[in-house]
Amino acid sequence: MKKVPLGFKSPVIKALIGVTAFVSFMASAEIAVIVHPSNANAIDKAAIEGIFMGKRNKYDDGKVAIPINGLKESPTRDSFNEKVIGRNSSQVNAYWAKLVFTGKGTMPQELANDAEIISTVAQNEGAISYVDASSVNSTVKVVATY
Amino acid sequence: MKKHIYLIALAISLFSTQVFSVNVEFSGYGSIVAGKTFGTVDDPINIGERRDEIFTADFYDVGQYNNDFSFKPETVFALQAKTKLSDNVSITAQLVSKAVDEFSPDLDWFYLTYKLNEDWTFMAGRRNIPMYYFSEFSEVGYAYPWIRPPANLYWWQVTQFNAVQALYTFVWGEYNHTVNFFYGNEYSKDNKEMLFYERLYGTGASSVDEFWTDITGFNWNVSGEYFDVRFVYFVNDRDRDIFFPDGSMTSNRHFSQSFIGFGGTINLYPLTILFDYNFVDYDDVRGTEFPTYLISLAYSIDEFQPYISYSKADHERTKATPPTEDLEEHYLLSVGLRYDFIPTAAFKIQLDKFVDQGHAPTGWNYHGDSTALTFGVDFIF
Repeated sequence: MKKVPLGFKSPVIKALIGVTAFVSFMASAEIAVIVHPSNANAIDKAAIEGIFMGKRNKYDDGKVAIPINGLKESPTRDSFNEKVIGRNSSQVNAYWAKLVFTGKGTMPQELANDAEIISTVAQNEGAISYVDASSVNSTVKVVATY
Repeated sequence: MKKHIYLIALAISLFSTQVFSVNVEFSGYGSIVAGKTFGTVDDPINIGERRDEIFTADFYDVGQYNNDFSFKPETVFALQAKTKLSDNVSITAQLVSKAVDEFSPDLDWFYLTYKLNEDWTFMAGRRNIPMYYFSEFSEVGYAYPWIRPPANLYWWQVTQFNAVQALYTFVWGEYNHTVNFFYGNEYSKDNKEMLFYERLYGTGASSVDEFWTDITGFNWNVSGEYFDVRFVYFVNDRDRDIFFPDGSMTSNRHFSQSFIGFGGTINLYPLTILFDYNFVDYDDVRGTEFPTYLISLAYSIDEFQPYISYSKADHERTKATPPTEDLEEHYLLSVGLRYDFIPTAAFKIQLDKFVDQGHAPTGWNYHGDSTALTFGVDFIF
């Protein structure tokens, strides 16, 4: 998929609230699923899977969800696919091939590294992504770790 | 063919010039597959003669393997171009080039998408008919475990249509739903599969036009964390004109058909269960029915995925005098292995055993038994 920079017009973070400080102490192999600090939705594994697999495009509060992936080759993405989606990366790609070539979906956009992902999620209210748990900072909210 | 290539080159160069600063996203898929059958069978049509086993891998394009090793029946390359005309309107085109058609590219998909909001999407243009669960992406080999969806079910002479579709997406009962309403028509002039049958039976016909009109129906797709299932129902009218070299023409009697089906995948990683049940019913004087089904299991071990699949097709006439089930009937048993050697390409090898259980005295066993070995690489980009 082509890498496109995000161009959302959503306002910059309102406040650095609800930050889960304990996250930085988690083991580095852990994956943290992150959203904008203002996102108050309860987001369980099924919802994350639905959003990243193009089955669900909104949060429970009706706001549009914008999933963001790490790069195809990144270990974080492989780990996210295995732990959260429940399939390996090849199988996730195979699933997306069905949607992309029938016009039923567009693969989530990709960003180059954890720093880029965190700064993008911090600036977009609907964004949801995942990073190595040790990379998380206070500009984003962690909804779950795996 | 050359004309097509010039047009494509021209289109691409126009898009890439500064004058038309359109952002076009290119992607695509393909399969490079080869194989052969083994042995000979009694010719079901020319009684008393022997012939090579023939395994039909692609009914619509008459892609068939025989005893000669060949890349031709299934090798395919497709290029998709998608461009946004505005935030919610896009155009998608897919050029599909098949070895069985001498790689002459066809614009198999060409449609406009209008996203009204997050819930409603409308599409208009040329697309695959959403018949079987795997119909819409039956040529995207990378998207499923096998080399191909079971050929003995995907046997229809019409697979595409020009249509309008409305898709409504919603969450209900913790599951994700998409309901897809569609209406379209297909006027298939010089239909390849139907002409193949005319030649097989030596009728002397020179071409066949096949019309599927007022194709009207819906899909209901439900998915959760561990499954994705789809119900389908549609009806359409059927007409056929058969032409002969002397200029004469015969027309089949008009009838309507209904198509009903339920299929999907259940993902209990590392186990995947794939299934489909379908029932086609004609309102013709013979009460023609085609019950078909597929069941398949695939098991992931790291990057390897061995699989097994069984598919069965039957043909009955419930209003004939007397009613009969002694018509076309066959099953296909397949075993294979998918190996994802890189995240965007998979090597596959598959052994197919096609058993023709058709009624021999009336020639309905016209496919004949076959065993085929095929292997190849499916990729996306």
